[in-house]
Amino acid sequence: MNISCQSIINPERPVQGIIDIRRAEFEGVFLRVSAHFPKSGSMQEGGSGCSDASCNKSREEWLRKKYSPETIVERYEETIEKCKESNIRISAVSTPGLAYKVDEEKKYVAFMRKCAVEGIRLCSQAGCNYMVVPPLRMENERAWESNREFYLTLAETAREYGVRILLKNQEKETGGRFVRGICAESFQAAEWIDRLNAEAGEEVFGFCLDIGICSLCGNDIHEFISELGQRIRMVVLKDCSWQRETALLPFTCVDSGTDWLGVIRGLRDVEFDGELVIDFSGTMRAFSPLLRPALYKLAKETVKYFSWQIGLEQGMKKYKKLVLFGAGNMCRNYMKNYGEKYPPLFTCDNNSKLWGTEFCGLEVKSPEALKNLPEDCGIFICNIYYREIEEQLRAMGVERNIEYFNDEYMQSFDFNRLDIMAREQ
Amino acid sequence: MLRLGVQTNNVIEDNCPQDGFAILKRAGFSCADFSLNGYLKNTDVYKSDINHFFSQSVQDLEAFFGSHKQGAAEEGILISQMHMPYPIYVPGGDKELNDYLREVVAPKSMALCSFFQCTYIVIHSYKLALYLGSERREWEQTEQFLDTILPMAKEMGITICIENLYDSVRGHLIEGPCCNAVKAAERIDRINDKYHAEVLGFCFDTGHANLIGIDFEDFITTLGHRLKVLHIHDNDGRQDLHQIPFTFTATRENKSSTDWDGFIRGLRNIQYNGVLNFETAPVLSAFPEGMKEAALGFIAQIGHYFAEQIDG
Repeated sequence: MNISCQSIINPERPVQGIIDIRRAEFEGVFLRVSAHFPKSGSMQEGGSGCSDASCNKSREEWLRKKYSPETIVERYEETIEKCKESNIRISAVSTPGLAYKVDEEKKYVAFMRKCAVEGIRLCSQAGCNYMVVPPLRMENERAWESNREFYLTLAETAREYGVRILLKNQEKETGGRFVRGICAESFQAAEWIDRLNAEAGEEVFGFCLDIGICSLCGNDIHEFISELGQRIRMVVLKDCSWQRETALLPFTCVDSGTDWLGVIRGLRDVEFDGELVIDFSGTMRAFSPLLRPALYKLAKETVKYFSWQIGLEQGMKKYKKLVLFGAGNMCRNYMKNYGEKYPPLFTCDNNSKLWGTEFCGLEVKSPEALKNLPEDCGIFICNIYYREIEEQLRAMGVERNIEYFNDEYMQSFDFNRLDIMAREQ
Repeated sequence: MLRLGVQTNNVIEDNCPQDGFAILKRAGFSCADFSLNGYLKNTDVYKSDINHFFSQSVQDLEAFFGSHKQGAAEEGILISQMHMPYPIYVPGGDKELNDYLREVVAPKSMALCSFFQCTYIVIHSYKLALYLGSERREWEQTEQFLDTILPMAKEMGITICIENLYDSVRGHLIEGPCCNAVKAAERIDRINDKYHAEVLGFCFDTGHANLIGIDFEDFITTLGHRLKVLHIHDNDGRQDLHQIPFTFTATRENKSSTDWDGFIRGLRNIQYNGVLNFETAPVLSAFPEGMKEAALGFIAQIGHYFAEQIDG
């Protein structure tokens, strides 16, 4: 699984952003390119900083010239060069997300197509395989036909540059509230990708799952991921408030939390091994620029944590044999979820009263027993005092193959234990 | 013109039910959604505080509801749908409690549905995805439960309707059971084929759908003919308030924040010919007693508007 962050790089002055990314030890960035959608006459009024129409008009002309889709490759050239110099990978590129007026539809489609084509060229230059192109925002009845034509015209370019196009789930606004838009229902997203690939004659299309949008739309995320399966090539982790699309650092939206259990269960089920992106751009904007480097480091730890949780089983697969440390609830949850697939030799515990007894079918031994383990045996700590126990083991001279097990996000929960919890509430 | 219905909670009193049905009739309704769930409240079930109303024999229950049936008939109100008490399974509840819900409350609710000559009864599916680890396993449990009452449904000519529900993750509302219209349609078809009868259908709850951003038109259109009954009500997108449609806005333009146009289009797409049933009992406790009839009349007017729009 590759880890990256939503770009915090200003393409006009990329060096500082790259330094921050490097210091936070991110290996990659996800570039969301910007472009200016030319405004119609009436929309030129009221531009910032100018009170008269002529000033707004000249600003609009400047924006059109400087930020037209044709300038994308050129504008991001320095960013890509500097990233390469710093060994920072570009994990994917995305087109800008835009709304439009109904009477501007033709202009909008042409604009989005141009952005996507230029984005694919940029991908190729950056050496990345994925171009995220969200569906065109259309009314339900025309959504498939319009998008089908749009995506299939991009397929040839994508093939030429060796880039895969990723569709993305979308919200839509109705009466000031956000509801499920195009590809926000898993079966629709799966059907679209399959039909597009079939018509393109090869696997040119995949899916980028935006967890924030799932949360905003109240999706059952576990089900969404299970339905899409291997079509998911990229996952964007972010928290999102219930009423608008924002990109908050995961675990920070305290009053309206994302279903992270569903995210982790789902990604484990489909053995996700693609691009894992953390997007905390909204949280970042709220912080002072002086504090941002510290935030980036927290973001890196957060996405690492997700990667570890998703790949929890990979840690077990590494070892031919394994033993547990701890004879409590976490050990019970290990045995319930993984006991059959990865049976431990035994468990151990610091409580001497438990030595020689049996817990969940395992013999409980003294930690001293860990001194005589074969080389290919992993020790999985099943106790929240991970660091303290790790120190204890190292002090005993047991320094190899120490791993943490965690039951915060299990595939299923011990029914009896939850029954007890429910009664206690 | 589509018929209009409303739930009986907060209108029909057990000591003189006919008065309540007369109110419904005057307000403009011709149908009622009989709230059996009012006799065993969900808040009590979750606390394992069972009142044993359903411990009475079926004969005694029929005798109890005789005046309700008669009152409805005399006022020309059709009991077009019922709501079974819920939940029908409490995770963490005693075996005794869950056995009682499944083996006593559910079959007796079916018997009462038959007694009222009502064609549809709405149930809440099991909420177990958190525990069991997937929606598929959760549905397997619901289906096991359904298999205990579907033979009765076939014999009695009743269609049991599953309803889209929501769930909560630390205060954030997400999909609960039956929120995937494609899966719901497949399951309903499969089960009806198995029983060689239309024993399972769907109840679309607008309020629950609104809480989790479901596209009304898409959902209803996907369900098609399997959609049998409705729970029409409105909310602010955050809480399950069961209020009058068109009540909530979210912008300075003050347009309704719930997609009622999508609702109308969906029902029009599938040529819905069931009852436009409102699940708006909390409205009646919010308004003063003296305004209850006016509030019901207003709800019925909204129903007329929907009916006109759907009929085109």
